Amino acid sequence: MATEGPVFTDDAGDYADPPMTRMAIAVLALIGILVASYLSLYKLGFIGGLTCTVGSCEQVQASPWAVFLGLPVSIWGLGAYVTMLAVAIIGLQPRFVNARWVAVALTALSAVGVAFSAYLTYIEAFVIEMWCQYCVISAIIVTVIFFLSLPGLRRAR
Amino acid sequence: MPRPAPKPRRSLTPFYVLLGLVLLAGIGVVATQMGSKGGKAANQGVPVTMTPDQLQRVRGITQGREDAPITIYEFADFQCPHCAEFAWKVEPLIRDSLVNTGKARYVFYEFPLAFKWSWLSARSGRCANEQGKFWPYHDLVFARQTDWGFEKDPVDKLAGYAQQAGLDAGKFEECVRSDKYVREVSESAQLAQSLGVQGTPTLFVNGRNIGTPETYKALADKVREIAPAAFGGAAPAAATAPAAATPADSAKTPAAGATTTS
Repeated sequence: MATEGPVFTDDAGDYADPPMTRMAIAVLALIGILVASYLSLYKLGFIGGLTCTVGSCEQVQASPWAVFLGLPVSIWGLGAYVTMLAVAIIGLQPRFVNARWVAVALTALSAVGVAFSAYLTYIEAFVIEMWCQYCVISAIIVTVIFFLSLPGLRRAR
Repeated sequence: MPRPAPKPRRSLTPFYVLLGLVLLAGIGVVATQMGSKGGKAANQGVPVTMTPDQLQRVRGITQGREDAPITIYEFADFQCPHCAEFAWKVEPLIRDSLVNTGKARYVFYEFPLAFKWSWLSARSGRCANEQGKFWPYHDLVFARQTDWGFEKDPVDKLAGYAQQAGLDAGKFEECVRSDKYVREVSESAQLAQSLGVQGTPTLFVNGRNIGTPETYKALADKVREIAPAAFGGAAPAAATAPAAATPADSAKTPAAGATTTS
């Protein structure tokens, strides 16, 4: 019957529960926001020194690769994580649980993040030859988000 | 056929609570980090690629008259015992007899070796120089080398010497705990390498590598040999300032770079 209104289904064809993977993506994106905010505050001069127990964050942050298109890389990261968090939370709402665009957006955003992080990790390893622990944490977070986004993509087909 | 009754949806409230807790914890961690004095600052250099021209412009830390007939360059490491010995035994005499009499300009360049705090202490010298008190700080750091050299975190002790030397210890500590001046020290080390400096302290008199003079007399003899004019003798060609060295020499001679004079 076409008059029953929207029906949200999961794989079992029943009303869908909010996907746990999307909740995990939201939590990880929030941690990413905190990491990127810390680095952004440093880059913007609000923090005198970074607390870096592994590697040398400040040297990495002082390198030319810490700026992309005129903005600190950490600000780009902050924007990406805020968007991912927003999309993940929207994707948890009943109307959007099975919305294809949510799944596609999360996968696309995190894929770009993974690619950019891979490039930055390469720069750290082979060009600057120094590590920034927060950049590594961010790279891990975005990679995990990418893998968590894949089941949603499959389900939204 | 009627649809089966929908299962009750899982509530999002616990998720929002979790998100709020993560946010609060995260803000707490970031605030704590912001309130801290900073972290482990650079104790290694950064890769620098410099042309011979750029190497000529690497700046050391100077004392003495800019137009002095003799220029002495020292490449040293604050944690090298030999440098400390040189600083106690020979440098005061150089200062009294050559620098303060206007005969020589003395330029200090860092050449951090592989001691535990070589790079950090080298940067600390630049932080002291920033406040115009490099030389008194330099003396204290060398004099107390065995006190701070084996510390797990030497910055507190170095800040104490900075205070004794009349520096603003807070500003100094913030500088040392950041990676400020890592590039300058890396450039200085690069200059040392390009000049073939093998160990510390290594001295250059008017661009000529004289190694490590063990005594003031040994140094004065070399200076007299290289620049007799400064001691009232005839002026030989060797007395030319390093900046005026021949092109062939220029790549092997530090320029008259300086950051302060005292």
